[in-house]
Amino acid sequence: MDWLEQELKNTLARKDPPPDFARRVLRGVARRAPSPVWRHSRWLAAAAAVVVITGGAAAWREHQGFVAKEQVMLAFRIAAVKVNHIQTHIQEAAR
Amino acid sequence: MTVLRTLALVVAAAALLSAQQLKFNLDYLAAKASDSVDLSLNGATLQFAARFLSSKDADESKVKKMIASLDGIYIRTFEFKDAGAWAPADLEGVRQQLRGSEWSRIVGVKSGQEGENAEIYVRSENKKINGVAILVSGPKELTIVNIVGPVDLDSLASLGGHLGIPKVEITKHK
Repeated sequence: MDWLEQELKNTLARKDPPPDFARRVLRGVARRAPSPVWRHSRWLAAAAAVVVITGGAAAWREHQGFVAKEQVMLAFRIAAVKVNHIQTHIQEAAR
Repeated sequence: MTVLRTLALVVAAAALLSAQQLKFNLDYLAAKASDSVDLSLNGATLQFAARFLSSKDADESKVKKMIASLDGIYIRTFEFKDAGAWAPADLEGVRQQLRGSEWSRIVGVKSGQEGENAEIYVRSENKKINGVAILVSGPKELTIVNIVGPVDLDSLASLGGHLGIPKVEITKHK
């Protein structure tokens, strides 16, 4: 066995972990895991986003419907005014 | 792929043209007008609007019934501060379309004093009315209305007294 082999054997020799190694690892894992509150709040945020998007879409649709309704009413107002105008002329001519 | 896209565009353009029976290219008059209205409501918009018209409100319910069978309403109105802002030639393009065999003029009113002209044309196919055009022109006003679909003129006229429009009583002479 030459000196290099001896050096490697010493360096790579099996060593037992310190006695509190397992406890420290578990403590570290527990510290990094998300708390139940955070896990719930993420769900709440997602639910709130769904509610906001759905509500926004419904409000936008409502607004579009209101605009379309107003345009239809304006169209009929204009058409009816013109027809009435023509009727007035006919009535005047008939007198 | 390009052929399909072109075909889709042609079909879409044909659908648009078939919806509107009259073409009004009068956008240039809007700059001269003191007040103008441009309404282009196709069938889909009318049916969408119908969902928001109340059946309990007398006016809205009447309009709701009328638009149920319509395919579109297209209106252009212009009001001008001064007389002579528009020329009869502006209306010639529309009149030319109304000279087609499918259109017939049912009412024509000319007011010499006010210089106003009002006409109603109906478009029929297979002896059924499927469109109405209303042209009203005066020295300071120009209105073109095209209602596409089976229009009941009596119902339209009966809106007088509704929608804030004073009712005109027509005296029938026997």
